[in-house]
Amino acid sequence: MATAADVDALDFEPDDDDLMDEDAAVDVDASSPRASAPIPKLKSAITGGSVAVAPKKTKGRGFREETDAERNNRMSGRFDSLDSDGGPGPERSIEGWIILVTGVHEEAQEDDLQNAFGEFGEIKNLHLNLDRRTGFVKGYALIEYESFEEAEKAIAAMDGGELLTQNVNVDWAFSKGPFRRRNNRRRSPRGNRSRSPRRRF
Amino acid sequence: MAEEENGAAGGGEFYLRYYVGHKGKFGHEFLEFEFRPDGKLRYANNSNYKNDTMIRKEVFLTPSVLKECRRIVSDSEIMKEDDNNWPEPDRVGRQELEIVMGNEHISFTTSKIGSLMDVQTSKDPEGLRIFYYLVQDLKCFVFSLISLHFKIKPI
Repeated sequence: MATAADVDALDFEPDDDDLMDEDAAVDVDASSPRASAPIPKLKSAITGGSVAVAPKKTKGRGFREETDAERNNRMSGRFDSLDSDGGPGPERSIEGWIILVTGVHEEAQEDDLQNAFGEFGEIKNLHLNLDRRTGFVKGYALIEYESFEEAEKAIAAMDGGELLTQNVNVDWAFSKGPFRRRNNRRRSPRGNRSRSPRRRF
Repeated sequence: MAEEENGAAGGGEFYLRYYVGHKGKFGHEFLEFEFRPDGKLRYANNSNYKNDTMIRKEVFLTPSVLKECRRIVSDSEIMKEDDNNWPEPDRVGRQELEIVMGNEHISFTTSKIGSLMDVQTSKDPEGLRIFYYLVQDLKCFVFSLISLHFKIKPI
């Protein structure tokens, strides 16, 4: 099968005299005959054709190589996951419930998060990762509680709240199943859509 | 909140995949993860050294987590870079970073980067530095997610 990536790869040859192809990837005009121009497909074998990809501006050497077969081999096979019914709602992790805090101040310390989030239950684990370049806090924290109720209380109380002068958002980290993207409701009907509308937990 | 279609918090497509690996005396050893648009995070780590088990884990993330990943990518401004002048993948190893964000799709490849020294001496130190730090920040994010969820030590 001649994949879109194959065709697309030609666009990157500097001596390619058909420069129109490159434009086609940028200007999307449904009425143009160019609308049927090749659509760059995701290289990943895992995702394959399951993602609806609109024409994109592509860049990089990765489009010029044919490594799909190898990648197929690499990422095929079984991936372990914790048992889940695939439905909506937060997913329990192996030892507890994980929440994500975003908008964390770059100078925040673990103690600041302990103080703010410790009141909803004992924090079993706290990851406050740093920006590798600056050494400051990257902007998010992952917190583990033992019980669903503790995590739920923390989310309810802290989401949209303030921490060190910055507004933070707090939500579950893991979900039982896929979510439907907000901005893609208008796309044409396809299979494998999630059953229920996306919700805030 | 002003959320433009392709901004950090905006909607539109988002997909990210990172691969680093090499083929040597222990076979094909690699680490790969991907964030899929439906929220699925996949993580694979294959080391044939001593035990030849491949770790493959997957879990669904909430939109909030994907949004944070997207913010990290967007803040890095990696989409403005180009891998044209980066060191080519070689026998020591290769890295691949593929991102779809809004209407842009990058698929960059380069060699392994041992240290910032490799970055400084390359033909595109500014671009490669952005790649170098972004990859570390993404790995850090993924390792936290995977280790908290599954209680395994990635790598």
